[in-house]
Amino acid sequence: MKKNHLTLKIFSLIVLNDIVDTIAQLIMKKGLVQTGISPVTLSNIAEFVTRNISSTLVWLGVLIYALNFFIWIIILYKIDLSIAMPVGSTSYIFVPLAAILFLHEYVCPIRWIGILCIILGIHFAAQSKKGAESESRGYG
Amino acid sequence: MNPEAMVKIVFLILLAEIFTAIGQILFKKTTNMLKRHSLRSVDTHISFLRDVFGKPSIWIGFFSMAVGLVIWLIALANGELSLVFSIGSLQYILILFLAHIFLDEKIDSMKLLGTLLVIFGIILITMS
Repeated sequence: MKKNHLTLKIFSLIVLNDIVDTIAQLIMKKGLVQTGISPVTLSNIAEFVTRNISSTLVWLGVLIYALNFFIWIIILYKIDLSIAMPVGSTSYIFVPLAAILFLHEYVCPIRWIGILCIILGIHFAAQSKKGAESESRGYG
Repeated sequence: MNPEAMVKIVFLILLAEIFTAIGQILFKKTTNMLKRHSLRSVDTHISFLRDVFGKPSIWIGFFSMAVGLVIWLIALANGELSLVFSIGSLQYILILFLAHIFLDEKIDSMKLLGTLLVIFGIILITMS
């Protein structure tokens, strides 16, 4: 039995985790912008907190984050944190690709090189099979 | 952005990252302590979650994450996204080393190369 090996199933979970995380980030950013307090300083930090606590969008973002935690904890149960982290950067690939496909945005060459670096980085990190744990766990 | 404000933002981002990284280490410490779960049905997932939430380390991890998130939000609200996310990518290298120190996870050339490429890629994307 392989140990701490990145299977397609775990990889899919990581991608799902990234997609949900992106959605939560966008919703929270929208909520934060709506509160309209910028810059945040020591003098208005109390107002910043109270306004965000009463923001539905911020709470929705927090809720989605909480749900995403369940996916993340299962991922961590299966593989090393130091593999899950770099492989978990797939959102940096999918967000620009989605922006091109659905929003017809232009992506400059430097960004393409960045995306390529991340794909290579995920590829290399996924090759690592040296885990700390000795036992293998369920999930295919 | 004036230099003083810039230093403040960078400090906030680094502080947020340290708290978040500690949270991640505690999460992984928690899952390392769990007993075997098959995770093949709804019931086994529920007993898995019971096991997870029964460990104090997960709650300390949550607290650390929450502190990190609040600091991160303050940085996001004040700084430019490109700056916040570029410096935020250092999280990957921080976790690589903390996982080695506290979780005995091995750093092999593949992991190190992969992590560095991801950070380089993120900086290229966010700075451009």
